[in-house]
Amino acid sequence: MRRLLPLLLSTAFRLALWCLLTSDLSRLNLLIGLVVALLLPRARSRPLPVRVLLKATVRGLLAIPQAFAEALRLVMAPAMVEREDSEPATDRALPLLVFLDVFRITLTPFTIVLGLEDGGRRYRIHTLTPASKEDSEP
Amino acid sequence: MAHSLVDHASAVLLGAGLVLWFWGTWPLLGTHSYLRKLHALSVADTLGSLLMLLGLLLRIPGQWPLLTLALLGLVVWNTIFGYVLAACSLPPPPQPATEQDSAP
Repeated sequence: MRRLLPLLLSTAFRLALWCLLTSDLSRLNLLIGLVVALLLPRARSRPLPVRVLLKATVRGLLAIPQAFAEALRLVMAPAMVEREDSEPATDRALPLLVFLDVFRITLTPFTIVLGLEDGGRRYRIHTLTPASKEDSEP
Repeated sequence: MAHSLVDHASAVLLGAGLVLWFWGTWPLLGTHSYLRKLHALSVADTLGSLLMLLGLLLRIPGQWPLLTLALLGLVVWNTIFGYVLAACSLPPPPQPATEQDSAP
């Protein structure tokens, strides 16, 4: 199952995109979509740990409402501070997980990933947050 | 009644998206740091446009497959493009000298 998961996931994702693009669920169209999904080249991938992947996906989805909250706070903020920060990477061996992490961090307006540091063990992050009282005092 | 309610909700979403757009794109003309402008752009581009697409989704529900596709593409593309621009703003890491470089 773990070995098959990358194939299943990418095929299902491509088929879903195909269905959205054509908005046609007839049997013939589904068949064409399935053939296209299988024929498109795919990256060589390792077995995916399901639990970690699910967790990363849920965190990525939760980042969307959080992004709006942060945007609101930035819009309201009278002053902002920029900083550099870092966060440990979950698992750099799995490109999909790194992608989900980068997506989750960069989506929120407070933080942008600048790259990997420390040999790929940490994300280098640039943050922009509303200034607190201590920051605004000289 | 329900129809006008949906219309109003859609107008509010479109308006809120427009406000975020202007809030995020106006600083581009200023003298702030490059990365600070990128933070503002992620508000304008990603979140503002997301609100607008939701507004459109309420207005023309018949087009939901394409609008959903646009929503997905927009959020993923904008976010990852923001990361690429941020990563490109850093100075390149020092390259180890190759044999060709060291040859006379």
